[in-house]
Amino acid sequence: MSVAAIAFLVIGLGLIGWLSARTRAARFAAAADTAAGAAGRPHSLPFYHGWYVALWATVPALLFLAVWGWTSPALVTGAVLDTPAAALPESGIERGALLAEARALAQGKLAGAFNDEAAALAPAYRAAQARFDGIATVLALILAFAGGAYAFTRVRPDFRARTRVERAVMATLLVASLIAILTTVGIVASLLFESWRFFSMVSPVDFLFGLRWSPQSAVIAGQTNQFGAIPLFWGTIFIGAIIAMVVAIPLGLMSAVYLTQYAGPRLRAWMKPALEMLAGVPTVVYGYFAALTVAPALRDFAAAVGIPGASSESALAAGVVMGIMIIPFVSSMADDSITAVPAAMRDGSLAMGATQSETIRKVLIPAALPGVVGGVLLAVSRAIGETMIVVMAAGLAANLTANPFASVTTVTTQIVQLLTGDQEFDSAKTLAAFALGLVLFVITLLLNIVALRVVKKYREAYE
Amino acid sequence: MNRLGLTDWNGPVMRRRLARRYAAERRFRLLGLGAVLLSAAFLAFLLVSMIGQGATGFLRTEVRVTLDFKAAPLLIDRAALAGRGADLALANAGIPAHLNAAATTAYGGEGAGYLSENSWLDVRDAVRDDPALLDGKASFWVAAATAIDLAAKGHGTAEAKAAYAKLKQAGAVRKTFNAGFLTRSNSNDPTRAGIWGAFKGSLLTMIVTLLLAFPIGVLSAVYLEEYAPRNRMTDLIEVSINNLAAVPSIIFGLLGLAVFLNTWQLPRSAALVGGLTLALMTMPVIVIAARNAIKSVPPSIRDAALGVGASPVQVVFHHVLPLALPGILTGTIIGMARALGETAPLLMIGMRAFIATPPDGFTDPATVLPVQIFLWSDEVSRGFVEKTSAAIVVLLAFLLAMNGLAIYLRNRFERRW
Amino acid sequence: MIEDHSVKSDRPAKMSARNVNVFYGQKQAISGVSIDVDMDNVVAFIGPSGCGKSTFLRTLNRMNDTIAGARVEGQITLDGTDIYNPDMDVVQLRARVGMVFQKPNPFPKSIYENVAYGPRIHGLVDGKADLDAVVEQSLRRAGLWDEVKDRLHESGTALSGGQQQRLCIARAIAVDPEVILMDEPCSALDPIATAKIEELIHELRGRYAIVIVTHNMQQAARVSQHTAFFHLGQLVEYGVTSEIFTNPREVRTKDYITGRYG
Repeated sequence: MSVAAIAFLVIGLGLIGWLSARTRAARFAAAADTAAGAAGRPHSLPFYHGWYVALWATVPALLFLAVWGWTSPALVTGAVLDTPAAALPESGIERGALLAEARALAQGKLAGAFNDEAAALAPAYRAAQARFDGIATVLALILAFAGGAYAFTRVRPDFRARTRVERAVMATLLVASLIAILTTVGIVASLLFESWRFFSMVSPVDFLFGLRWSPQSAVIAGQTNQFGAIPLFWGTIFIGAIIAMVVAIPLGLMSAVYLTQYAGPRLRAWMKPALEMLAGVPTVVYGYFAALTVAPALRDFAAAVGIPGASSESALAAGVVMGIMIIPFVSSMADDSITAVPAAMRDGSLAMGATQSETIRKVLIPAALPGVVGGVLLAVSRAIGETMIVVMAAGLAANLTANPFASVTTVTTQIVQLLTGDQEFDSAKTLAAFALGLVLFVITLLLNIVALRVVKKYREAYE
Repeated sequence: MNRLGLTDWNGPVMRRRLARRYAAERRFRLLGLGAVLLSAAFLAFLLVSMIGQGATGFLRTEVRVTLDFKAAPLLIDRAALAGRGADLALANAGIPAHLNAAATTAYGGEGAGYLSENSWLDVRDAVRDDPALLDGKASFWVAAATAIDLAAKGHGTAEAKAAYAKLKQAGAVRKTFNAGFLTRSNSNDPTRAGIWGAFKGSLLTMIVTLLLAFPIGVLSAVYLEEYAPRNRMTDLIEVSINNLAAVPSIIFGLLGLAVFLNTWQLPRSAALVGGLTLALMTMPVIVIAARNAIKSVPPSIRDAALGVGASPVQVVFHHVLPLALPGILTGTIIGMARALGETAPLLMIGMRAFIATPPDGFTDPATVLPVQIFLWSDEVSRGFVEKTSAAIVVLLAFLLAMNGLAIYLRNRFERRW
Repeated sequence: MIEDHSVKSDRPAKMSARNVNVFYGQKQAISGVSIDVDMDNVVAFIGPSGCGKSTFLRTLNRMNDTIAGARVEGQITLDGTDIYNPDMDVVQLRARVGMVFQKPNPFPKSIYENVAYGPRIHGLVDGKADLDAVVEQSLRRAGLWDEVKDRLHESGTALSGGQQQRLCIARAIAVDPEVILMDEPCSALDPIATAKIEELIHELRGRYAIVIVTHNMQQAARVSQHTAFFHLGQLVEYGVTSEIFTNPREVRTKDYITGRYG
């Protein structure tokens, strides 16, 4: 029996426990009603007694199964390796392949064996699997029965089943919220761990301040001074924080101003969802758009005007399209900030005879500025973490250039580049991706913390 | 000096100044309108160019070829056509040679070049479905070569266009709806490539994401909003969630690679791992939306329920959550739409493999729609351009539907207390 | 002496309203109000909340224009010119008819910049020295100069509530208005700050026509020469303040003043 089948069995048992405990509780509830009236009524509704028993019957058994599902493949393999049929090569990859094949044979996933060794192992595999499955079934059922029985004996009129069940609910809620922490810890730990391995091969100083990025030649020639990430950082800032913002800030801010201050309700009702749609378009579509439509047009333009070094993978194409992607983000942050400015400010200015644009430029925007700045910081953080547009439209050449028509590369592009294709996990080349990831994570984290502070301070100022 | 009280509001200086101020007002207003229209124009241009290029991706060009099986029979054992081995038997029956010969006879020396390399598969399928065809002369509409296909759609070389015109005059070419695009998987041949495999991969991935992210997200939101004590632990959870919501998606891919693949040894390229990774990314979005929805349920409702003796858990599950549900669903749909369009983290966990057969389970190698788009956009063959755009149209249709539903839900059920 | 709700002196009125109706969408908020406001004079609008006194005040410098769906009928003139006439320039009108709001609303800028804002946008000054002079003069007239002269470049929002409100008055004065509208200027202030504002109103009376909305009848009695009593969107009674408070002609006025309702 597979783990899933046992789990179904346990859940079935839980259902039986639920029904029987509820029936029993319903019976004594009815008895109490006739005997003593409302005063003698049991503490909890029958429903809660049912859940109490069901939880005791299923949770320990399912927890056991989860652990079992994790550990049993290793146990099975261990048992198989102990059998005399296991005359396996020592080398890791071959050995693993043979074991995997034998496992597939034993589970009936493969019709025929490619290797005789695997075929020989299959019966041993099947036997071991059957034995361990048997053990698991028995243990799980014992746990389910024992739990259910223990709980069932406690179903009495004065037993506070609801309190117990609610405690279990609270525990579930807490566990659910802890997953966020686990994720954060997982991110930080995996980035730190792999980066640490990287920095044991490449000096952090060379990495952070080096001007030459050429991981390919580093691997071929065995040099370690080819991991200078400055050109990557520059490319990321050039595309994400400069070109994209030059597009997104004026357009986003002016859109927000127009929609909040001038537009009639009809236009607003259409434009706001349209802007949200712009935000909902997946980045791969923007990337395709940049690579297929914008980049060639810009290259032809540059060539026509006579700008040297024009590339079909220009920083400008990626940056402009990224800016378009960020417009709705900037616009909605600016919208929130402007609407948060008290109406009294606007009235005060209008009442002195300021025109609407004077009010907006000299009172509303200065008043909303902290919120807008916070929003822009968040937008920058999003732009420098954006991957697909730059992977598809920016280049791979790590150039230190301020020519927007030339090709530059970014941190995220290089992460994708380093981690796709054939991987050997221990090479400096793949580990470099994690070091880049760590830098990206730290920078975006700092930007977000600062931005959220600024926005929060600003909100408090007007509340 | 006493300035106040001396202002001449109707003097010429003041009038000129006022005219200037109004001109500035008009300019500013136009600037704002321009920004809005420009943003809208970007969206419109994006959609129109994608749909314009993608529309033809749903069409395929077919060339008619007449095969006379009586004159030149296929070398095949009829009995083999009945069972599971039919495809294998037909593959060895020499259909391509027949086709090429027939095309050359019908359309001259170039004739064979008008057909797609894989056009024999169309004949194979027809014969397998109706073995009686082998008894006589039969006409088949088979896939045209990419060059002819492009010429039919108005691109391509002059040479191909001439060939297409010739075929058209002979009535030997037609454009039909490319059903295969929706039912097949990836292929090296643009005329055979379809999105079904990637679509199924997306579906499986989204199922895993939804099953994990929705319950965890809602339960965390309930905990943080209703029960969490004010302490360091709670602060830590809140900070984690707020930061996770802003972590670049590619970082989640690195997490998936380092933890799910390298540490836990889960299968590469699988929908399970993709779903797990995207769930971690989507969960904070759902938490934040659900918290806002729960926050907007007025305290008076909680007081009323507590007042009639409901326990805190009952208050939340009987009263607060049902009232907050529309908001939670809106946030969930938006989060799922974002996950559906996500590409970068899935590249990290190997979901960029060439998948020619649709995945049958959560652990089978799979790819997803956005990654398929990315892979096709890299293809050299010109025939993939319209396929890429067509796949984008499909993806956008889903996303727009989801976002539209979210906006509708929000407008329909948003309650102002 | 009092005929047709207007208090006539020999001079033509600075502002006068004739048969004014105000609608918010379908709802009528003000019906048939006629009133005159003279220079060197303080008019108080009193009445229970929701009676339309603030609404009417906002029609006098067309601040109602900023509310979607608001519509004004009838005639309101400033120095004989109809302010709802298409030729009337709203921007200039609002400079000439200044307004002070219920809650002090200094801009989140320095004290100096708050006062300098109006003269700058209207181009009333040439050069820094001139602007400094206007700022000082406005702050002096608002009775705030001595308190803030050493910290002109600190934020206006850092002042106390009463100081903020006087800053708003200085800000209004700086654009050289002829009429100042005050919409419950003391309702957010403590008694001491209120007394200072009332004193200020007395001082300003000599230079401007002042209209003040208040829900505080004692305040109306203290600061105004004329009082208008509004009820349910109508002007019930308008007359010399002392007479309104001692010898009202209308029963509704009397009931309100003696505290029967409102």
